[in-house]
Amino acid sequence: MRFLTTVAVASLAFGGAWLGVVEAKSVSGDRVLVLVPKVEAAKLYSQFLDSLTGRGFDISVRAATNTSVALQVDGVRTYDHAVVLSPESKKLGANLSVRDFVSFVDDGGNLVLTASSELSELGRKLAARFGVEYERRGTAVIDHVAHLRAINDTSDHTLVAAGPPKTAAPVLSKQFAHPQSNPVYFKGIAHKYEPSNPMLISVLTGSRTTYSAPIGSDANEGAISLSGKALGLVSVFQTRNNARVAFSGSAALFSDALLSQEGGANKQFTTDISQWVLQEKAVLRETAHRHYLASTGERPEHYRISNEIVYEIDLSVYHDDAWHPYNSKDVQFEAIMLDPYIRATLNSTESTDPKTTATYHGDIKLPDRYGTFTFRVNYKRTGYSNVDVKDTVGIWPLRHDEYPRFLSAAYPYYISSLVMAVGFLALCAAWMWSAEPKTKRTTKQKSN
Amino acid sequence: MVNKVLGLTAADQASLLRIAILGLISLVAIGSRLYSVIRFESVIHEFDPWFNYRTTRYLVDHGFDKFWNWFDETAWYPLGRVVGGTLYPGIMVTSATIYNALHLINIPVDIRNVCVFLAPAFSALTAIATYHLGKEVKNATAGLLAAAFIGVAPGYISRSVAGSYDNEGIAIFLLVFTFFLWLRSVRLGSALYGALTAISYFYMVSAWGGYVFIINLIPLHVFALLVMGRFSNRLYVAYSTFYVIGTLASMQIPFVGFQPTFTSEHMAALGTFGLIQLVAFASFARTLVPENHFRTLLRGAVVSLFVVGLSGLVLLTMSGVIAPWTGRFYSLWDTGYAKIHIPIIASVSEHQPTAWPNFFFDLNMLIWLLPAGIYFSFSELSDNHVFLILYSIFAAYFASVMVRLILTLTPIVCVLAGVAMAHVFETYLNLRDVPAAAQLKAKATPDVVAATDAVKSLVDAVSDDTAIEDTDSASGHKKDGKRGKGAKKNAAKAVEPTTDTSVDGAGTSSTQPSVPTSKELSPALKRFYALFPKFVVMTCFMFLLCMFQWHCSWITSTAYSSPSVVLSSRGPDGSHLIIDDFREAYYWLRKNTKPEAKVLSWWDYGYQLAGMADRTTLVDNNTWNNTHIATVGKIMASDEDTAYELARHHDVDYVLIVFGAMLGYSGDDINKFLWMVRIAQGVYPDDVKEEEFYNSQGQYAISDDASPAMKNSLMHKLSYYRFADVMGGQGFDRVRKQKLPTSVTLDNFEEAYTTENWMVRIYKVKDLDNLGRSHHAASKF
Repeated sequence: MRFLTTVAVASLAFGGAWLGVVEAKSVSGDRVLVLVPKVEAAKLYSQFLDSLTGRGFDISVRAATNTSVALQVDGVRTYDHAVVLSPESKKLGANLSVRDFVSFVDDGGNLVLTASSELSELGRKLAARFGVEYERRGTAVIDHVAHLRAINDTSDHTLVAAGPPKTAAPVLSKQFAHPQSNPVYFKGIAHKYEPSNPMLISVLTGSRTTYSAPIGSDANEGAISLSGKALGLVSVFQTRNNARVAFSGSAALFSDALLSQEGGANKQFTTDISQWVLQEKAVLRETAHRHYLASTGERPEHYRISNEIVYEIDLSVYHDDAWHPYNSKDVQFEAIMLDPYIRATLNSTESTDPKTTATYHGDIKLPDRYGTFTFRVNYKRTGYSNVDVKDTVGIWPLRHDEYPRFLSAAYPYYISSLVMAVGFLALCAAWMWSAEPKTKRTTKQKSN
Repeated sequence: MVNKVLGLTAADQASLLRIAILGLISLVAIGSRLYSVIRFESVIHEFDPWFNYRTTRYLVDHGFDKFWNWFDETAWYPLGRVVGGTLYPGIMVTSATIYNALHLINIPVDIRNVCVFLAPAFSALTAIATYHLGKEVKNATAGLLAAAFIGVAPGYISRSVAGSYDNEGIAIFLLVFTFFLWLRSVRLGSALYGALTAISYFYMVSAWGGYVFIINLIPLHVFALLVMGRFSNRLYVAYSTFYVIGTLASMQIPFVGFQPTFTSEHMAALGTFGLIQLVAFASFARTLVPENHFRTLLRGAVVSLFVVGLSGLVLLTMSGVIAPWTGRFYSLWDTGYAKIHIPIIASVSEHQPTAWPNFFFDLNMLIWLLPAGIYFSFSELSDNHVFLILYSIFAAYFASVMVRLILTLTPIVCVLAGVAMAHVFETYLNLRDVPAAAQLKAKATPDVVAATDAVKSLVDAVSDDTAIEDTDSASGHKKDGKRGKGAKKNAAKAVEPTTDTSVDGAGTSSTQPSVPTSKELSPALKRFYALFPKFVVMTCFMFLLCMFQWHCSWITSTAYSSPSVVLSSRGPDGSHLIIDDFREAYYWLRKNTKPEAKVLSWWDYGYQLAGMADRTTLVDNNTWNNTHIATVGKIMASDEDTAYELARHHDVDYVLIVFGAMLGYSGDDINKFLWMVRIAQGVYPDDVKEEEFYNSQGQYAISDDASPAMKNSLMHKLSYYRFADVMGGQGFDRVRKQKLPTSVTLDNFEEAYTTENWMVRIYKVKDLDNLGRSHHAASKF
């Protein structure tokens, strides 16, 4: 029976792939809005859009001028992802503002934003919200050394060939890590990015010979505002709520012309970027976590100081259309009360569901300090979704009858009180059974 | 001799009357404490009672074992509070016992009502205990008067109105009762009464931190008696029994624990215990040594032992073996101490030194009867009277350095006033020896006149009405001023035999020997001369007593019956308005926030938040952790960004502030703000500085001319955010009498709720921005 269903599902999937109507492969949904200057312009990007469709997305291609396009209606997202391929449009859809885009992202929507030398003010302001600062209008990225030579070589060297930096690892596929990998062709505008911003990952930068200058100007005139590695071409951003945004200084990067260019890796690059942004890979999640007393295996209402406990967390990562176990050696557990009292690395252990999840395990001895602690696994790694699991747990002091009853240090006191008691009894006995001479008693009474 | 009424002998009639009077006093005591319930409703008052109420409910719901081991995670987040070990469980256990007993006999009373009416019920017991104390030191008359006084004295009512569910509510009863048992055990030398004193003391220890007063006053009494050379076996038995059992019992309260063995507050008792053993040994040795040698030996030994003991104590304290006095006790010696060293103690209004009018406000005429009572105590000076004198002196001192200690002064004032008043009554209501008195007066020599003079001279100071009398007595008084003084003591004794019976009205008094009447005056006139002064004096005193009762009722109804949780005011048309903003805000929190939400507020509101809103608080009225409170003060005093960072670090979800500018409620947070700043400065002197909160003119301003630190502080922003919108452009702060600040911006916090009269404002701490921007930047675009 099980075999049959498996076959059925497999055949369905197989057949579906052929027909291009598979179920969504993204974790967060399959509705994609694609904004192009005019509907006909979508043809320029047919390869890229077809690959999206082929991956199971439900694409709505709309003209940027279409005023019925809204990202959210009554506070509910109408799309799960948006790809803006019309960087020069001054108005997008129903006069979408920067605020609309930000609120779309706040709501968990993902964005692919493209730019060009004639980037509109809207696109520029929107990017600035994410710490991506595009160069001035009319500038372009130029590289006189690394550029595409094939098309009747003139002095126009704006179609540059670039490679991704090492930081881009989880976003891009492995082949880009190879030093001799094919370059990505890029034609458009550069942007500044803040390398120390942990939310922003640069995935395509200029080489040492790349610079940004106004189109047609002479490089020697001191018009260069940005060059080399600091010059960002494509960057991606992951928000605190794990929504993802890509900023490409070039819309052409996604075009059929460059995707089909020989010797270029644009096809793979756009696939990688879109897979990452549309939550098809590097999506990390915590499926379950638990903590319990090591002695009983049960989770009490609250712990006591210095209890030995076990903390376990299950992590899985999504890629290639399925959840897989996430294997790593740097998952850390913290017990925090204002400051971390315990910070321990969790070891991977036998998982309950080895096909999809990896289980991390830690034997923890709670601090000798009572209070309200937060058990936290705050796992944030570049390119992966943030996992931040918090439990507020009370650690109580010992019960009045849980303290040690007899302390060896106190034995002198026990003995002394015993001796005292015995002595008192002896004295009482001696006093009670020894008659006083009568004469003495009378004198005493007199004196009183 | 025997006048039987309804088949009762005179003695039975007297005791029946006493019981009836005590019953009525109890009724009045309970009745006058119910204003708050009638005016408002059956609600727990103020701040601390809310904690007591909450813990009582926990005790009733979960049983004693869980209560004993209760660790409250929702208080002092994230430190928590070991409730079982840091409270005096007496009041909770008392209420829970009453509650369970009532339920056992199928009276389904709500625990809240038990709590609300506990203090009035105990005030009736206090009256009865005071009666016994008065009877112990003088007689039933004094006892009844003292009971009547304590029943209505505002100094005690202030802490025991219905709804004021606080430790003091039962502790004053225990204080008086312990002292009564102590005096009786000293008088009788009874180990039984000594043990009963210890048990009562144990109950007191379980109920209130003020037990320290008992454990210092009783040893002081013993010590004073020893120094006076009044050691007796009775004293030895009483004190040894009391100290041993009482101390062992008090150590069973977890909050007290081993304190009796190593803190300074308890050292006097321990030292006196040791001393009395030595004295007892000495007095045993006395039988072996000649008398006159022995006296010098004894005195020398006592004094040198005292010196050695004291210096040993000082040494041990300085070397840290014995815990030094806590700050609250230091501030009893030096009223300026707290203000400099412990702002958190000084910030509490009830820890301020007492203003003189307060004494009259809280005790009315009793306060000037107190010296008279002390005088009469001196004139007899039995062991018991030494105690009364010591008690009154120390309590009077403490009451004048700390407002709330008027409470401990009140019982002794009532007792001594009762004693003084009883003397007055006995002298002036004694109509039986009229002819004799008249005769004596004419001769202006015998003791009774001197005695009346003595009393009257006290009365004269207050009442002009008695001036008529002066013509009669002046001659004798002036002529024989010196002798008069000496005679007073005799006079008091002379009056003594009549005391027990004069009020009883049984007419069994031993009248003065009659002296042949004078020949010049007719009998009617003589009677008139004899009775008229008495009549005038008694009229004055009755008038004063009525005024006292009047004053007490008035004070109780106007000043001490407000629950402070619910406020009342008068509308312009004189209508009665109820202002219920506090409960509105707490209820909002209860119903609209996550159960585990953490609410930050100044510590004053911590107990109420926990009790009414049932939410986690950072600080509350149990001010045990100064650093934590200073952190909250720092959050309030810092600029928005620092405050936001700190608030997030402490997992704060909501910030609650009290704001009175709309109504003119002066007890709001802006007025408390300087204390927050001072307390924060004590711990974070680099980050918070008090002088920065005064403007260039050195004023504490809130409007546009406020200092930058003030304007940027979170407290200022949370208070005045959008307040100008409702008050209009010419808005006015009705508490500070200043114009409103014109622009108040708020980025990191958002307004969640503001109550009807703007008295309580609740703000939500925003989550971190999704895009990693500062909220300031995010709100700008």
